[in-house]
Amino acid sequence: MEAQNRRHRLSAEDLETILGVTSALAAPFDLMTMLGEVVNAAKQVLHADRGSVWLFEPASDELVLLVATGIAPVRVRSGAGLVGACAHERRIINVPDCYADPRFDPTVDRATGYRTRCMLTLPLVDHKDALVGVMQVLNKDGGVFDADDETLATALAAQCAVALQRVRMTEAVIEGEKMRQALEMARVVQMSTLPSEMPAVPGYEVCGLFEPAELTGGDTYDLAAIDQGLLVVLGDATGHGIAPALSVTQMQAMLRMAFRLGADLDTAYLQINNRLAETLADDRFVTAFIGLLDPATHRLRFHSGGQGPIFHFRAATGTCVRYKPTSFPLGAMPLAAARPPVTLEMAPGDILVLLSDGFYERTNAAGEPFGEARVEALVAAHRGGRVTALMDAIVGAVRDFGGGAAQEDDMTAVLVRRDGGAAALSREFPRSFASIDAMVAFTQEAFARLGVDPALKQAVDFTVEELFTNMVKYATGSASPVRVDLKAIDGGVEVALVDGDVERFDPTRAPDVDIHARIEERRPGGLGLHLIRRMVDSIEYQYSESTRQGRIVFRKTATGPTARAD
Amino acid sequence: MLAMEIGPDGAIVVTGRLDAAQAASAQAFLDKVQGIATLDCRGLEYISSAGLGVLLKTHKRLLASSGKLRLAGVGPHLKDIFSYSGFDQLFEIVPGP
Repeated sequence: MEAQNRRHRLSAEDLETILGVTSALAAPFDLMTMLGEVVNAAKQVLHADRGSVWLFEPASDELVLLVATGIAPVRVRSGAGLVGACAHERRIINVPDCYADPRFDPTVDRATGYRTRCMLTLPLVDHKDALVGVMQVLNKDGGVFDADDETLATALAAQCAVALQRVRMTEAVIEGEKMRQALEMARVVQMSTLPSEMPAVPGYEVCGLFEPAELTGGDTYDLAAIDQGLLVVLGDATGHGIAPALSVTQMQAMLRMAFRLGADLDTAYLQINNRLAETLADDRFVTAFIGLLDPATHRLRFHSGGQGPIFHFRAATGTCVRYKPTSFPLGAMPLAAARPPVTLEMAPGDILVLLSDGFYERTNAAGEPFGEARVEALVAAHRGGRVTALMDAIVGAVRDFGGGAAQEDDMTAVLVRRDGGAAALSREFPRSFASIDAMVAFTQEAFARLGVDPALKQAVDFTVEELFTNMVKYATGSASPVRVDLKAIDGGVEVALVDGDVERFDPTRAPDVDIHARIEERRPGGLGLHLIRRMVDSIEYQYSESTRQGRIVFRKTATGPTARAD
Repeated sequence: MLAMEIGPDGAIVVTGRLDAAQAASAQAFLDKVQGIATLDCRGLEYISSAGLGVLLKTHKRLLASSGKLRLAGVGPHLKDIFSYSGFDQLFEIVPGP
């Protein structure tokens, strides 16, 4: 009631000023303008000579003076002096004679030559009861601030607090947006350095992948046919955000440039390490595999600065050889001379597997990392197929492993596979049951040499043996050996059994066995073929009248049917 | 969590996880270290690339004034990380604490 009575005593001029001020406070979107408006409003409404607004920083528990007419910025602790006391107690402090109040700090007056007579200090509290800052007005025209001024100032302070808070929040959003845009820009730059298409390398199949995480990581890869051979790069700069994205981009640009200028692998590695050591911050580095493959000699020479593990899958043994990095990460320290590179020989069917730690360190719900053993098992299982299929299998497995959890780090991968060389292997076997052991040994060898998934071997052996047994049993008149051809196909193997000097006999057309028949109705034989049809992906019979040659071809892949239960 | 202190033998004893979240406080501690310093890693459960960055920065600073950062009590798990990152070629890894 008291306040309302007082408001009645407001002059029409005062009211107009307050309304004008309130509408002015709605306009600004930046903090400095808003602070200026608030100070002007206070000066006008309260007929004060000067004014200032201190903003409260909850993190430091300090009040910061950003704008004051003619006064330099200052910081005070909450609780100290008049401003601090006002913030702390959240109540208006009216000091009619400053030099008589021990809380008054005359430092500013001394520095500026200004003399503060009286001062009104009031808290700026927003509608959520949060302290936004403290407003001070000095030296009322022709007197001191009275109770009416306190009421006016309190009304004004509430408006100012809300307006200031709105601007601060808007600025925070704008800052966040700027950061997001900067990250997006860094991401665009980073993505632009990735190869737009996979290089064609005779005798090889290559595949690269970059799956960015939500926050920019610092991964990159490169696969490019250059004068020196096939350039193979996988890199990862430490940290997240703009800096690492730009570091790897810088590294990649330098690499391409060095090789374009004719640098050899060792020189390029040394120069780029030393250049990065100069330019990167002391706690930053880039782990990178940098290799050159000569597709003619099948020699891959590489340096790896802290990038590992490096897997070389060897088709001959069906296992991976692991290489450690040859050196510390790029940019960690300058190098006087590069160590010699490591050389590995890519035999037919061999695969180079480079994955960033986003794969190995992906964790499941139990916090267990995906690890190296799972990668090795996947490589072995998909050795015979296309590298794109292997890539899909690895990425799929890592995703499944991580469940629904967000991907925290970039996932970057490079796969280089030498074609299976002798795409097919053939061998002849005497038409006798005694050949079966040799046939099993042959498929074993062929699987390894062609890089076929060993999981398929049992079904293939079974099928080969059944078909071969039929040939031995039913074509007794022939003396020619039976030839077995094995060929790696996408995800599996194609096997042909070639039977010479025989009559036409198509086992694929043999009637199905009634496996539900009573025992006395079951005829011997036929069960093997019955099972084969359910075990392999496809089977077909070809016969040539002129050569009297029968040929049975079947295919078995990891994705094809297993034995179906009928 | 991460804790760092100077042990009775003068070595810097680090316990817990040195990850991105702890890198700044670890750096602040190591910034005060001088000369030839030994980091006792027996209690270090985990180190991330951000943590490696902290060790690298400290090592570089000490090298500039003829000092260095040596690593002691490096268990098999950390040894793998140091060797896979090539950091075993940058730091002297001494047996025992």
